[in-house]
Amino acid sequence: MSVKSVSVHAKWIVGKVIGTKMQKTAKVRVTRLVLDQYLLKYYNKRKTYFAHDPLEQCTVGDVVLLKALAERRAKLVTHELAEIVYKVGNVIDPLTGKQVAGSLFRETLTDSMENPAGSLTEKLQELNISAATSEILQKPSEV
Amino acid sequence: MPMKGRYPIRRTLEYLQKGDIVFKNTVKIMTVNYNTHGELSDGARKFVFFNIPQIQYKNPWVQVMMFKNLTPAPFLKFYLDDGDQVLVDAEGKDHKDISQHVKKILGKSEEVLQAEELARMVHSNPANFGPKKYCLRECMCEVEGQVPCPGLIPLPNEMRGKYKSQMKGTED
Repeated sequence: MSVKSVSVHAKWIVGKVIGTKMQKTAKVRVTRLVLDQYLLKYYNKRKTYFAHDPLEQCTVGDVVLLKALAERRAKLVTHELAEIVYKVGNVIDPLTGKQVAGSLFRETLTDSMENPAGSLTEKLQELNISAATSEILQKPSEV
Repeated sequence: MPMKGRYPIRRTLEYLQKGDIVFKNTVKIMTVNYNTHGELSDGARKFVFFNIPQIQYKNPWVQVMMFKNLTPAPFLKFYLDDGDQVLVDAEGKDHKDISQHVKKILGKSEEVLQAEELARMVHSNPANFGPKKYCLRECMCEVEGQVPCPGLIPLPNEMRGKYKSQMKGTED
């Protein structure tokens, strides 16, 4: 039987992961714009592809770049995972490299944890000062 | 009776065919990230509204995907055949600036387009007869002023081989 050298027409594909229940395989939905002949308007047409994901790093909802395999791996698996473009819940803005959620930047927790030892003693001193001032303030109110 | 929708001119064949961005053969995927609100994304939104149909019409084999409200700044991303990725910032730009920039970096130039059109014209000779897919006409009977198709109108007896052979037989 003839071996299909290039399995599919599309070499590179971007899609969204819809299922990861198969072992080492991700089900990816790819949308392409197709022109409606009468309305002359473009609509999204869906197609599902199966992609080989050896490390099982995809979760449902990721946006993923797939590369066509040289030879068809299984009856349905025709592509492999090239890179995860946008990880769901952890989108990284390509322009700045920072974590992003919608139209806001997410502040990472590591910024507030810098210099813990030095700041603790300072914070204790601040607390003493604030406690003293609050006592002074309370006394006139009691009276 | 006017067409329905806002800017229905986008839905005419003439408008679609007027698109000037024809991508180079290495461009496989185009991704547009933009936000639905905010002034920064205004150019990107107009680009998607006006220019994406033209681009997709001229490049039917390029996958175009739109992502809304993922990142604060709008941008375009192109995925090329050798694995390269091209990032185009669209923050605060006008939709005409974006399309001109894209045409400059990833579009085929005027000379290349004209050369391709010449090659296509040379390849298809209008004088040939054949299937409708490759040639203009299939049979001489389609041309005005020539003998009409005998399937529609019977030929005169002088041109019919059957009649001629009958005449030859009854002569002797």
